[in-house]
Amino acid sequence: MFLTFYVHPVSTFGAVLDMVTDRISTACLLVILSQVYRPSFVFLSLLALDIGSHWFQMYSTFLVGKSNHKDVKDSTSWLFRLYYGNRMFMGYCCVACELLYIILFLLAKESEKMTDVLMDAAKQSIIYSALLAFLLFGWATKQLVNVIQMKTAADLCVLYDLNKKHNK
Amino acid sequence: MTSKSRPKTISVYLYIPNIIGYIRILLNCYAFAICFTSKELFSVLYFISFVCDALDGWFARKFNQVSTFGAVLDMVTDRISTACLLVILSQVYRPSFVFLSLLALDIGSHWFQMYSTFLVGKSNHKDVKDSTSWLFRLYYGNRMFMGYCCVACELLYIILFLLAKESEKMTDVLMDAAKQSIIYSALLAFLLFGWATKQLVNVIQMKTAADLCVLYDLNKKHNK
Repeated sequence: MFLTFYVHPVSTFGAVLDMVTDRISTACLLVILSQVYRPSFVFLSLLALDIGSHWFQMYSTFLVGKSNHKDVKDSTSWLFRLYYGNRMFMGYCCVACELLYIILFLLAKESEKMTDVLMDAAKQSIIYSALLAFLLFGWATKQLVNVIQMKTAADLCVLYDLNKKHNK
Repeated sequence: MTSKSRPKTISVYLYIPNIIGYIRILLNCYAFAICFTSKELFSVLYFISFVCDALDGWFARKFNQVSTFGAVLDMVTDRISTACLLVILSQVYRPSFVFLSLLALDIGSHWFQMYSTFLVGKSNHKDVKDSTSWLFRLYYGNRMFMGYCCVACELLYIILFLLAKESEKMTDVLMDAAKQSIIYSALLAFLLFGWATKQLVNVIQMKTAADLCVLYDLNKKHNK
């Protein structure tokens, strides 16, 4: 997944394979997190948001004919412009998200509450606290962008139908 | 509809089939939140949501409220609800890897299929009647058979969930159920056959869609 930042796939199949592998690996990571932490519902929701937002986004990208959902620079949302206009920031958010999940998995003991695990880790040292805050901020930004992305994409689906009717 | 200078988006979100879609989502959220405390209620709610899935398409055609948003919402809700069901099955059965694989196959095959459908310009991935595969023609050409496979798949997962006890092996659970009576055996065989067909179609679908992606690039190069 990290290679995609440096090695852009030159085939359509490669691009789709890349997207699918990302979604499935994130999904599986969330699944195992849902097994070691309670309540599972948190991770089911994150899974739902990941799949839902990316699916809507891909569909609407096809409807409006843009080649790549990461090329949305004309959006009016300042967060969109910051996220997609700045590859470093987007990269930070994506990496922070995956790192947070991996760290949560490494720190887990059987049936422990996630908040306890995070508080314990944070109390250990100021460096751990700073690192966790850094990762949580990137993760939160990514989830927020997912939500906005899904709404924007849904609006595009609606507009597509309206324009079709209008042009009849 | 009278022509307006600025098209409004709010009315599509309030279409009846889309409202049914929102109800489906709420039902699923509540069902999965209580799935471990009340298995029976979860199964009933999940099944109701599944029935709504069939209904909202019918409502859309009946009220002339077919929308792209509604179709995508439907597809996304299907994928997510199946995914969550496979997640909870991976929690009650070992090895989890079986259900992770089924989850990966479901997401991967539908994703590739949707992408390749756009590339070749077909409006609906269920309209692939020109495929050379006999299984494809049988599956997609016959709505009853396709419906049976989809319903069998979901029913099998729900029954597996209802039958589960902590950390039990799936094969033991199924053998126990089959031994109870010949009717159970027949029902399970019936569901397993539909489920297996659906998974096989998923695999073929994914390969066919991947081939279409490759062909798309080749045609683009050819026509330069």
